[in-house]
Amino acid sequence: MRTLKHRSAEDWILDTLIYSFAAVVFIATLYPFYYVLVVSFNEGIDSTRGGVFLWPRSFTFENYMAVFSDDAWTRAVLISVLRTVVGTVLGVSLTSMVAYALSHDNLRGRKIYFLAIIVSMYFNGGIIPYYVTLRALGLLNTFWVYVVPTMLNGFLVLVMVAFFRDIPKSLEESAHIDGANDLQIFVRIVLPISKPVLATVSLFFGVAQWNAWLDSVLFVRSPDLRPLSFLMMEVINSSRISAMMSGMDVSMAATATQVTTLSIQMTTIVITVVPIVLVYPFLQKHFVKGVLLGSVKG
Amino acid sequence: MYVSTVAPVGTLSQKRRLLKQPWLHVFAISGMVFLALFAYMPMFGIVIAFRRYDFLDGIQGFFTSPWVGLSHFREFITSFRFGNIMANTLGISILKTLFAFPMPIIFAIALNEIRLPRFKKTLQTVSYFPHFISWVVVSGIAYALFSTEFGALNDLMVRIGLIDEPLDVLTNPRSFWTLAVVTDIWKGLGWWAIIFIAAIAGIDPTLYEAAEIDGAGRLARIRHVTLPGIRGAIVVVLVLSLGNLLGGGVSGSNFEQAYLLGNELNNARSEIIQTYVLKVGLRDGRFDFAAAVGLMQAVVSLVLILSANRIAKRVSGSSLF
Repeated sequence: MRTLKHRSAEDWILDTLIYSFAAVVFIATLYPFYYVLVVSFNEGIDSTRGGVFLWPRSFTFENYMAVFSDDAWTRAVLISVLRTVVGTVLGVSLTSMVAYALSHDNLRGRKIYFLAIIVSMYFNGGIIPYYVTLRALGLLNTFWVYVVPTMLNGFLVLVMVAFFRDIPKSLEESAHIDGANDLQIFVRIVLPISKPVLATVSLFFGVAQWNAWLDSVLFVRSPDLRPLSFLMMEVINSSRISAMMSGMDVSMAATATQVTTLSIQMTTIVITVVPIVLVYPFLQKHFVKGVLLGSVKG
Repeated sequence: MYVSTVAPVGTLSQKRRLLKQPWLHVFAISGMVFLALFAYMPMFGIVIAFRRYDFLDGIQGFFTSPWVGLSHFREFITSFRFGNIMANTLGISILKTLFAFPMPIIFAIALNEIRLPRFKKTLQTVSYFPHFISWVVVSGIAYALFSTEFGALNDLMVRIGLIDEPLDVLTNPRSFWTLAVVTDIWKGLGWWAIIFIAAIAGIDPTLYEAAEIDGAGRLARIRHVTLPGIRGAIVVVLVLSLGNLLGGGVSGSNFEQAYLLGNELNNARSEIIQTYVLKVGLRDGRFDFAAAVGLMQAVVSLVLILSANRIAKRVSGSSLF
């Protein structure tokens, strides 16, 4: 490796460019999150005066208390948690079952099954026929529309098939000789030794469920079924619209407290992002493999 | 436990037993039932693009409603918004291919040149975090930064005297395309760089040493060793993003951006095919017409990805399939 002494003019220019670029990326990525966090801990009306950049000017938990004491928000959090848990369990179950079956080279009809999965990954009917189908199945405006249509993910089936293939066949064969059927082998032998791939697939399903919002916009009307991200979108839209319609300070609406639409918005963003931060170390570990598998191998 | 060391005996009867595999078939068939309902039924439903379909007909209408040929397609192509919607869809996507596509490559190369291992690792870890948050959150953050009233960036720029008036980035039609490209870069930079970083890691280090001995400077090494070394990865991502040109490139973010960052004020530049489909379909109840518009986009996309793949194969020898 070169040392600092031997740096040429080219090195200096290149390094300056590279480190400035790196610094810009670093700050541009992190600061927006930090700013949201700061505003969520600052008194709402005070924030609208501007100038809060690095630290809460008048620190308060009021915004969080306002969110958690509002039934609409607590219900939304509950729906988000529920759909994440149920959606992940259902998704991992069906996806791993299908993948386990397809990992057997001697399964009859295996090629047709694979074809059906791959075609479904590249083609879809578009939003309108999909809507008609969900309606015919009676899923519209129910909780199940969040978690049932997402149960099978073709890409994750392929990831799991690759994993199951590497399990030594002797393990299965000897269990067969001992009289176990495929269901017993799958549940008691295969799943317990497949924890790494189960973790990856669970994270995929979990993050997708936690972040999902469009299904609620398109397929659900009941306010009781709204997830966190939907409510957040509504607040963002309403604040933008009221801001441009009346041109007046949105905060005037909330006279009793210091809480404003903006501070609620920032607080809910924090509440939405924190769970992702908590699983981020695992995401990193499992997803980097995932993107390489998915994109490079196509 | 079921695990035993008994050697397999009577391979014939065992084979027969494996062929029966009742549970494996239950597993596979439940997956197929799922696909039939949620993938193939809607796929078949595309036929309503060629029929006069009434919402109340339900699934039966897929089979029974009267054929109208290409009249929905004709109506869309001749409608007064067609030109505008196509311009927006293509304009945003082409800008993304020009600016958002090369950024992860530049970032990966820059990261490779950083000699502080801890900063390098931290930066990479931080860089792909935005990939994991939803576009709803991104639009909320955009509001917090760019709102003309309390937007932090506007506030800061006014305070330091860079601008006199806050910029109406979120509502000015003319800034929507820029907003779309910038937020796309912000969200996807680190994530798409992963592929290129992995490709760079796969380059034989002796190539760099040989180049250095031959007197190549750092820039020359980037040009003659790093770039050729990641050419395959670049082609793959380029084919993917050209194939999804109408969807917004490799990240496919056009729809969510247009839906969440678009509004009545910037509609002239933010309405794209996908948001138009939703409006005429689900809001106005014109399911057949909307399905036809959606189908047109799908067909164009298919043609694009096949031709991008063919061009890539001819030009560089590497391709996706």
